[in-house]
Amino acid sequence: MSETPTLTAAAAVVDARKIYGKGDSEVRALDGVTVSFDAGRFTAIMGPSGSGKSTLLHCVAGLDTLTSGSVLLGDTNLATLNDKDLTTLRREQVGFVFQAYNLVPTLTALENITLPLDLGGREPDREWLDKVVDAVDLRSRLDHRPSELSGGQQQRVAVARALVSKPRIIFADEPTGNLDSRTSAEILGFMKRAVSELGQTIVMVTHDPSAASYADRVIFLADGRIVDEITEPTADRVLDRMKRFGS
Amino acid sequence: MASPVPRLTIRGVLARKWRIVLTVLAVVSGVAFVSGAFILTDSVKKAIDDLFAQLAEGIDVEVRATIAFGDEATADRDPVPGQLVSTIAEVDGVRLAEGNLIRAATVIKTDGEPLATTGPSFGIAWTGPDGLDGRTLLEGRVADGPGQMTLDRDSARRAGYAIGDVVTMVGPVGKGEFELVGLTGTGGESNGGGASIAAFDPVTADEFLGAEGLVDSVYVAIDEGADRAVVMESIRDVIDDGLEVITGEQSAKETAGAINDIIDIFGNILLGFAAVSLFVSAFLIFNTFAIIVSQRLRELALLRAVGASTRQVRSMIVGESLVVATLATVIGVFAGMGVAVGIVALFNATGAAFPAASLIVSTRTIIVSTLVGVGVTVAAAVVPALRAGRIPPVAAMRPELGFSALQKNRRLLVGGTTFALGVVLFSIGLFLQPGGAGGTIGLGALGAVLLFLGISSLSTTFAAPASDLISRLLPLPFRPMTRSVPGRLGSRNAQRTPRRTASTASALMIGLALVSTVSVVATSIQQSFKDQLQGSVTADFFISNGPGNFQGLPVTFGERLAELPELSAVSPFRGANALVAGDEKQIGAVRGSAFAELVDLDLIAGSVESLDDGRILLHRDPAADLSVEVGDVLSVTWQNGRTSELEVGGIYGDSSVAGNWLVGIELLAEVSTTPPRDFFIGAKIADGVSIADARAAVDAVALDFPSAEVQDQAEFLQSQEDQLNQLLTIVYGLLVISIAIAVLGIANTMALSVFERTREFGLLRAVGMSRRDLKRSIRWEAIIVAVFGAVLGIVVGVPLGAAVTSALPDTFVTTVKIPFGTLVNILIAAVVVGMVAAIGPARRAAKLDVLEAISTS
Repeated sequence: MSETPTLTAAAAVVDARKIYGKGDSEVRALDGVTVSFDAGRFTAIMGPSGSGKSTLLHCVAGLDTLTSGSVLLGDTNLATLNDKDLTTLRREQVGFVFQAYNLVPTLTALENITLPLDLGGREPDREWLDKVVDAVDLRSRLDHRPSELSGGQQQRVAVARALVSKPRIIFADEPTGNLDSRTSAEILGFMKRAVSELGQTIVMVTHDPSAASYADRVIFLADGRIVDEITEPTADRVLDRMKRFGS
Repeated sequence: MASPVPRLTIRGVLARKWRIVLTVLAVVSGVAFVSGAFILTDSVKKAIDDLFAQLAEGIDVEVRATIAFGDEATADRDPVPGQLVSTIAEVDGVRLAEGNLIRAATVIKTDGEPLATTGPSFGIAWTGPDGLDGRTLLEGRVADGPGQMTLDRDSARRAGYAIGDVVTMVGPVGKGEFELVGLTGTGGESNGGGASIAAFDPVTADEFLGAEGLVDSVYVAIDEGADRAVVMESIRDVIDDGLEVITGEQSAKETAGAINDIIDIFGNILLGFAAVSLFVSAFLIFNTFAIIVSQRLRELALLRAVGASTRQVRSMIVGESLVVATLATVIGVFAGMGVAVGIVALFNATGAAFPAASLIVSTRTIIVSTLVGVGVTVAAAVVPALRAGRIPPVAAMRPELGFSALQKNRRLLVGGTTFALGVVLFSIGLFLQPGGAGGTIGLGALGAVLLFLGISSLSTTFAAPASDLISRLLPLPFRPMTRSVPGRLGSRNAQRTPRRTASTASALMIGLALVSTVSVVATSIQQSFKDQLQGSVTADFFISNGPGNFQGLPVTFGERLAELPELSAVSPFRGANALVAGDEKQIGAVRGSAFAELVDLDLIAGSVESLDDGRILLHRDPAADLSVEVGDVLSVTWQNGRTSELEVGGIYGDSSVAGNWLVGIELLAEVSTTPPRDFFIGAKIADGVSIADARAAVDAVALDFPSAEVQDQAEFLQSQEDQLNQLLTIVYGLLVISIAIAVLGIANTMALSVFERTREFGLLRAVGMSRRDLKRSIRWEAIIVAVFGAVLGIVVGVPLGAAVTSALPDTFVTTVKIPFGTLVNILIAAVVVGMVAAIGPARRAAKLDVLEAISTS
């Protein structure tokens, strides 16, 4: 399955290849992936372990580099950027939510939220910050250190941090992997609202069909290639497709 | 909000308080030595300057003999005739002129032993507080007639005398007994720098001190309102050539300067130890920060992922090192005051009695301490900071991708190059010696530093197999650890992070390498010295002034011994400063005919007896340097300006007793009017006289010179060896400090490793390992690391010592001797070091709660 990048895409990859190792131990984590992520949409990437879904996310996000092919974030080709420009790009145009270890343990919740802005020496937009803080319902927890927060609260701080700099795109890597189902639903619901109400673009890697059902579109990866995609997914439809690919 | 970097830095420090405290401690000791050295020298020098200025307060002008060369304060200066005092007193504008007479005179304690002093033992002429000498009378009265004396209060107390007692003194011409009529002080002190000072009225002093109407110099006070420059000019008009007129201030400054030079030596030794301890601390700092960075891999990667630049991550780590540096510098400067106070107290306890000094912490002390403390700490943290900057943001999600950034491997190349460069510089410094002693020390030190760094870097490559070997080879003090589970775990853990093992061991290596170097050099010198002395000393008795009385013996002692029929050959050994071919030399003076029988000079040409005909003998090294042979004439300038044209009467090969230059005592007496003292007297028993009889005869004469110490050949050799051992003990003692820092380093690394392995320890405990076994495995790991450091130290230190030894001149050392006993002790010490360092970390690991430990991610 392939798609031509359009101007409405927040990010796109063209013929992306990522190869680890050499000779016999060569692993093709990405083997010619071309895909674009539309602005203002919530896209989920699914696939079995080793399918290359995390590698794809890392490469689109500018955390890792491709062996060949190109990544466009907005109209910026990441291959043309040096470490300094990549850093600025991550700070200003990209937001991250990881599975675990999202927060700097020595900073308070508020300090963690404003960290990307502080690192860039930017003043946070007060109104927006308030809106984000309220949206994730963290007002009473802002002075707490991560060790004093529950897992769900920590992920909400991480989501707030990703939102606060109004990035072009947010990448989430198994954001609910460590959470119970109720807390997961809360976080995913919030991410969905961020897309529908605030117009945010989110790309999320997950192996959980019910998590994927919150997305507008699901892309399936296997052995480093895109093998299928569905739009307006439900948990059942996702599960169904997954069975078909034998995962 | 402001940049988060300072905030992250401070929080980072606070989150790791104890680790930081240990790191700070390591830097503190180095800074404390630096600031201590400066505070000590500044404070004591100021006190000494003040003291001498105070003593010379009443003296406006001093008239004395000139010298031809050398240091004014310590020169062999000719005395001046006593009549000069009355000549000068007549000069216009002179209010008062007094003869200044200071000669060696030893106080005999109430128990009959000589009073040992760390300063000189003086007898002086003193007219009392109204006179020009600035001494103060603390109790009793001034000695104003025959058979009376005063003594400084501190010496009186230590010798056991009170006012009214009869004090036995040994002066330049023999024993005397005096009633103690008063106790004096120097300035406000009851003592002056560890000297003993006995004062007599001028007539008694002249007689007892054997001055024969001469005085050392003339002190002058001028009339109130008189112009000093004019008075000095008027004095110059009435005195002979060969005399000079100087101000009292200049004289005081010269005397204080001579003492301050000694204080500077102490200061420099302290700075040397500061350098060693800072170098060792640098390893500890490097290690701590390297570990902190790898432990915070995910946190740092996360920062990078959310937009922190490489530079921001680097500044965070450097910032943390700055916090450590600042804390350490502040504490270090205060600890430096402690060091200074401690050293003064130590010397006072041995009787040196530094004048009471108020501590001077100058701006320079603070600036240098800060530069050193901050410089070393930050420099050591630079590499970990650079590594931290290389952590890729993707490591936030996949830590395994981050570790490769922390382990770039250019060690072999960099380490090898550094090591080679170190060896080259060290060898150039040692053997080619560009730029004299300064060049040798500078290049040698730089070479050694590079060599240590190189070895430390290279040792990473073999730390793992070496640890394995050590754990197999160590003869176990308890039970075979290698077969037990804790033993295997400890050994594997030491091998698991070779880089960490290597740099932890390196910190210990430096201290132990220096100990090994010093002990090889010292043992070699000792052995050579012993060999030489044993081969060259043929005298049966050696008589010297007792310990703590380094001014030498009255010459009359030797003269009386020479008259004893029980002895066949008696020669004194005296000394004088002279200028030979433009260089200042120490020249020994002996009675040639006797000396030939007392010491085997290993004569190459000429004869020892020729000394008695006014010839000069010299060692083959200076003879080669000056290319002179027997029969050539050397021009010698004595310190009083006289010159002698001396024919070379012989060249010899053994300088262990005689030094490089020898003349006859008659010649010395002709050219120098400086009152002679004998450093030692050698004597040989006459044929047919038993040792016991001879000893009895010598001891009988010695009764009149209670300060003398009579030694037979074996005792003499032993005492020479003891002196060298004493010096070594001090050096070892100070090196212990660098080893203590290394212990901190091992403890720190172990604590960090324990922290890292929390989960692993939880697992071990969960599957049934006892607390005791857990502790043992940690202890064993620490021992292996420590022994690895010790072995490295010995492997580096012994060849260094051998190199230094072989670079020393042959006259000093002839054989290289490896002190195996000391090396074994070093290994034993390393085991102890490891055990001590493991106490805290092992206890902490054993305390871990099993459930909590395994749930830690």
